[in-house]
Amino acid sequence: MNTQVNRRLLFSRTFVTLLIVGVGMLVLAGPSVQAQTAAAVVDSSITIVTNGTVVDTGTTVNVNGSVTIKCRRVIDTTTTTAAPLVMLDFDFSQLTGTTGSGKNLKTFVTGGNHATELRPLQASDTIVVTIPYFDSTKDALSASSFLATANLNFDISTGKLTSGSLTYGTNVFASSGVGTFTVN
Amino acid sequence: MPDRNFFLSPNASKARLREAENARKNRWDIIKSHSQGQVSRRDLIKMGLFTSAGMLIPISGLSPFARSAFADSNIPTGLPPSPLFGVQPFSTPMPRFDVLPRNPVSVLNPAPTAQANTTQQPVDPALGGGTGPIEGRPPGPIWAHQQFTQLPPVIAIQATMEGAKINTVYNPAVPSLQNSGINPATPIPFRFHPALPDQNVLKDWTYNGTIPPKLMLARYGEPILFRLRNKLPVNQNQNGGFGIHTISTHEHNGHHGAENDGFTGAFFFPNQFYDYHYPIVLAGRNSINTTATDNRASGPTDAGGLNKIPGDWHETMSTHWFHDHMFSFTAQNVYKGMAGMFNIYSGLDRGAEDIVDGVNLRLPSGRASVSGKSWGNLDYDVNLMLADKAWDAAGQLAMDIFEFDGFLGDQMTVNLTYKPFMEVERRKYRFRILNGSVSRFFKVALSDGSPMIQIGNDGNLLPQPVVLTKLDEQGIAERYDIVIDFSRYSVGQKVWMVNLAEHQDGKRVDKDLSIAEALSGNSPDPCVGKFLEFRIARNPAQPDISQVPATLIPNPDLSNIPVARERIFEFNRGANQTTNDPVSSFFGPWGIETDNQGGTLAADFGRISAAPRFGTREVWTLRNGGGGWDHPIHIHFEECQTLARDGSASNVPAWERGRKDVWRLRPGGEVKITLQFRDFGGMFMEHCHNTMHEDNAMLLRWEIDDGGPPFLRPLPTPIPKPQGVTFVAPTEILPTAFD
Repeated sequence: MNTQVNRRLLFSRTFVTLLIVGVGMLVLAGPSVQAQTAAAVVDSSITIVTNGTVVDTGTTVNVNGSVTIKCRRVIDTTTTTAAPLVMLDFDFSQLTGTTGSGKNLKTFVTGGNHATELRPLQASDTIVVTIPYFDSTKDALSASSFLATANLNFDISTGKLTSGSLTYGTNVFASSGVGTFTVN
Repeated sequence: MPDRNFFLSPNASKARLREAENARKNRWDIIKSHSQGQVSRRDLIKMGLFTSAGMLIPISGLSPFARSAFADSNIPTGLPPSPLFGVQPFSTPMPRFDVLPRNPVSVLNPAPTAQANTTQQPVDPALGGGTGPIEGRPPGPIWAHQQFTQLPPVIAIQATMEGAKINTVYNPAVPSLQNSGINPATPIPFRFHPALPDQNVLKDWTYNGTIPPKLMLARYGEPILFRLRNKLPVNQNQNGGFGIHTISTHEHNGHHGAENDGFTGAFFFPNQFYDYHYPIVLAGRNSINTTATDNRASGPTDAGGLNKIPGDWHETMSTHWFHDHMFSFTAQNVYKGMAGMFNIYSGLDRGAEDIVDGVNLRLPSGRASVSGKSWGNLDYDVNLMLADKAWDAAGQLAMDIFEFDGFLGDQMTVNLTYKPFMEVERRKYRFRILNGSVSRFFKVALSDGSPMIQIGNDGNLLPQPVVLTKLDEQGIAERYDIVIDFSRYSVGQKVWMVNLAEHQDGKRVDKDLSIAEALSGNSPDPCVGKFLEFRIARNPAQPDISQVPATLIPNPDLSNIPVARERIFEFNRGANQTTNDPVSSFFGPWGIETDNQGGTLAADFGRISAAPRFGTREVWTLRNGGGGWDHPIHIHFEECQTLARDGSASNVPAWERGRKDVWRLRPGGEVKITLQFRDFGGMFMEHCHNTMHEDNAMLLRWEIDDGGPPFLRPLPTPIPKPQGVTFVAPTEILPTAFD
């Protein structure tokens, strides 16, 4: 198998090169790494009562509801080079939208939407996510999307999410994220 | 700012790029020598080029990751970027997969046999000479095809494994109109883009030696015999610098006997073949719906009806893939191209959206009434294999096999084509997205933030569809089936699939980006941003009658099946090597601790880490022992249900509430799953599907060995040689394996 040294190659150019470089670098050989179970976690969460307005194809939708944001700071004690990070879960399932009134009242839901984000830990972070929503009397195939901009604050010493705000807006990518081409 | 990323920016100084290229060339000598068996890892340690943890020492002039005279810090500074030779993104059509021919099993010569065919043939002197069996499958009753008489193969699918060559028999199984205008009669050279260089025959090894990647079509109730012939060079040195010529194909995640699972130690040699018997049955076939009376437990017939079969219809699967699983060479071989996809059709998931019978879910696919095909229509059912690649200054596929944290490419390919475009109609499409990378995770969104409907996870239709504007991170080997409705766009518009997951190295995702961040062009990760362009080319010729029902496939009810026992597997860095068999054990920095026994062990396919009882159900906890990396953990054989993430069922997201076979543990994370052991037996695997981790050496063997003859308890370990497979006793049995 491949783990055997082919003796005929012991004096090959490649092997001699390796040997020369290797002998010179013996002193740099690193220590044996022992098994490392090295993850500690710090969990935190906030719940924000939100409301906002979204305009979609000429219709204004009022969005409101509470959003819970869970934060998990994972501390890695085995490496000094890994940037600290947090894992975030945005629970948009309680958000609803309405438009019109009386007989014309329409209700929109997010389909139990969650957004998960892995982000570097920093004192404050602005995260923009898109959220699907659709008429509650229809299915998810009719969904559109709007934007949520989260401004979150963290205690960087503990990795805890301490406060934040959420604003909603029209999905600007719906136009900027689409291009055109010439049909043959 | 120095480049902190795995790959240097093309804007890095010329001196830095030159330095990195020189380092890569110097390093290449070591990589090549190691991959060709001229020098072992132990030799490299003795020479001081390796740490005992398996890491190549960062030496300036040898490693691109060494401190650089041109960088202003001591952090890694990256590999030179892959040249594009002036190629622009989205300038070539995306080829659909190449469907492997299906023939009657009678075409096979020699005819398949239950036990391995040990007819002798001369063995090439480069492989030791003498004679050896024509089939590389381990001989004898233990490795005979299970239930071969009850489930005889009906369809033969044949392929070779060989070096890059021109494809002259491309069969996308769709009209040119549904393949972005590609004429299948035009020969396809092996290039990642028509304007990139031809790949060398030794650099890329694929099924049939060609691109596009291959697709197998199967249907429930119709057993397949997949015969794979190894036509790779007999000389191990003829590998283009990485990869190995011994192979084993895993049908991920087939519910088959272990002899067909592509066990990592059941590899075979050039000039041999291996017969894989895929019965294509529903799990539970021996205990549930045994008289085959339920319409939902079925496969499609040619006449548009249902072929009812035994088993639990809740176990119906749809999207598999197949890939090499050679022990400690999976990353290299799969990276060279040994990967294809495998669509399984059923009464529920028919691949014919116009058949209305109360069973067919009518997912986007195509019309039987138009194609004449009662199942497996691919017009609007599209396989996508995402994979990051890198190539050298000459445009030849390049890999660094010593990046044990994980290897990243700097160029995105879809179906092995660099950033292609796809023409679509204004209607619904199903996409079966496979992460076919070595170490890279993806997070997919559309550039306009439009909703997508996720309908499947790891090849299993979800209980309910989930609407998302960006998919969850997708680990290596995970399959996400989604539906995109292009009717929201106008003809002449285009929209892109975008990758939001930014890596700095192969350990884990460094940051999930917003769409704006990903499209800004500011990410240091060259694989972030747009990678596939959809061109809305026309209105559909017929109205879109496909559906995405509110209920797809509910989970099997396991509430009345007792839990026989629980096991814990912790995935760590810093493994001990307790065995030293030269074939079955391997040395590497990664490993797995089983049942808190105090030792993280490096891989040895001769070691038995778990032996669940046949016919039982267990609960397994998969724990990431580190906070600085992620692991996509794969369990072979039967699909599992996710009970909890990080200790709570409520942490399991909607898109993971179906069945799965790969779990991203997340940094410091833990997943609790439940699975059954039934229908077949033999030795299977569990491993990290960051294949650099798997190969170095985060893999273990578990087995079902108490199902009666011919199985032995414990099972002997196969040791393949060109002259024949021998068997040895297990090198080690962990104390809790047989509890």
